[in-house]
Amino acid sequence: MIDAFWNKLLSPGAAFDHPVTIALAAVVGGVLVATPVVIELLRLVGRIDAPHRAELYRRLYSWLFLAPAIAAPVLLGPGCTILAIAGLSLLCYREFARATGFFRERALSATVAVGVLALTVAEYDHWYEFFVALPSLMIALITIVALARDQPRGYLQRVSIATLSFLLFGVCFGHLAYMANDADFRPIMLTIVVCVEANDVFAYICGKSFGRRKLAPATSPGKTLGGVLGAAVLTPALFALIGRWVFENQSIGSLTHLVIMGLFASLAGMYGDLVISSIKRDLGIKDMGALLPGHGGLLDRFDSLLLVSPAIFHYIGYFRGWGLDQPARILTG
Amino acid sequence: MDQWEYRPARDFGLPLRRRLLSVRRENGLVSSLTRHAWWIGSGLYLRSYHRLVVRGREHLPARPPFIMIANHASHLDIMLLAAGLPMRFRECAYPIAAGDTFFETPARRLFSWMMLSALPMWRKGSVRHAIDDLRTRLLENPVVYLLFPEGTRTRTGDMSAFRPGLGMLVAGTEIPVVPCRIEGAFRSLPPGSFVPRPYKLHLTIAPPMCFPAIANDRAGWKRIAGELEQVIRGPSATPEA
Repeated sequence: MIDAFWNKLLSPGAAFDHPVTIALAAVVGGVLVATPVVIELLRLVGRIDAPHRAELYRRLYSWLFLAPAIAAPVLLGPGCTILAIAGLSLLCYREFARATGFFRERALSATVAVGVLALTVAEYDHWYEFFVALPSLMIALITIVALARDQPRGYLQRVSIATLSFLLFGVCFGHLAYMANDADFRPIMLTIVVCVEANDVFAYICGKSFGRRKLAPATSPGKTLGGVLGAAVLTPALFALIGRWVFENQSIGSLTHLVIMGLFASLAGMYGDLVISSIKRDLGIKDMGALLPGHGGLLDRFDSLLLVSPAIFHYIGYFRGWGLDQPARILTG
Repeated sequence: MDQWEYRPARDFGLPLRRRLLSVRRENGLVSSLTRHAWWIGSGLYLRSYHRLVVRGREHLPARPPFIMIANHASHLDIMLLAAGLPMRFRECAYPIAAGDTFFETPARRLFSWMMLSALPMWRKGSVRHAIDDLRTRLLENPVVYLLFPEGTRTRTGDMSAFRPGLGMLVAGTEIPVVPCRIEGAFRSLPPGSFVPRPYKLHLTIAPPMCFPAIANDRAGWKRIAGELEQVIRGPSATPEA
């Protein structure tokens, strides 16, 4: 069992086995290097003013830290990836709990954290039955733990927030982690992350160029219909382009499948963004935290991945399956 | 149907460094676990090595908020006060510690935060703002402050005069202050020494006092500090000698 743990944790030798991993790493690195040049060019031709430029630089600095932080565990190995996503889940939950004040409910808060750790075990173990059993088991546990203090007042609010936070930050991100059980998890995960982040950029650029009608002015005033539609065309195109290599010679690599998954990435990414915006408006706060300068909290950055992960996971799961050739239940087997 | 109520953390939105130094800091799950472990460990140590005796536990208020104060002779004192508190109060207990000692280096900050959940009070500069924050928090949340009104450890073994800052927290409120006397700590670990000697320790908890009728001004603060000082100075049940 301990051997199985260590074997899964690190496999840096296989990091660049797939050509798409090399290509994506090179492109992302290139974009990060080229961005300051582009910003300075825009400044020279007078397209952006000083505050706008400072804002772009703040975002760039955050990405200089974030991009390696995302890429490193994925390249290091499947175990590292799963543990890193577990950390991401817990940190996002922490931001949410501090924003709502839910962290004061110590017992329930600990239950949610235990649930996330149980998901991590299921993912690491490659035990799919446990992974899909956990949402229902955790809902049962949360409703029971919330009874503990014999205080019916606020029961529904306590249970709802605990359940929602476990499902959003534990289970949704957990789907991303479960992908690490596939032999080709590196190119697949990097493709999803790159496309979801590119979707934000596409929406921003399209919105600036031909966005007029506001999509949801009360929730997220920056979003325009033009931006969303533009991104819904460009993101599937990008997904199909990269996906052609990732799923070479597989039925899931057909153009129809790839465009559908690209649409998922685009629309679910946008909706994830709106979900977190809605939560922030409801709470009356601007950012979910102060961890990343220029972005706010982790949740402000990873909101778009929240809903994309289960959508693409189950789409691929239905048509192809995950890690079918990999050993299952390596820890509990 | 009641409206749902959200109360973000008091220190929400502050970057980690500012959070650490803020008196608004609220603790999360991890620091809650480390702190309980620390108080349990230090309680066991005091009971076994120093044969700690706690008297007057029945005087503690039934529920927070309240303030627990004591004379200050050694770094053991804060652990003594925590050992006098039952488990359910330790969750919301915040020692008020000197910023220039306990929050000076990153390592000390981490310790003061994770193990003690101490809130910093700076001996120099403007303290008015921080005290106002502490007072508001005391009135709004069920918290227990542990503090030493002398402001520093005694260098001679004799208690020095109480500072009026304590009065600024409670003047004109119903918040109870619980005066405690610590005996034996100066002999066990006087300032300047680093290895505690196994002398017996006593913690005597006196009945709580409230100051609802005392004005929240300089004269009132001094009066509160003076009255509490007299209680702790009072005749000792177990003389140190």
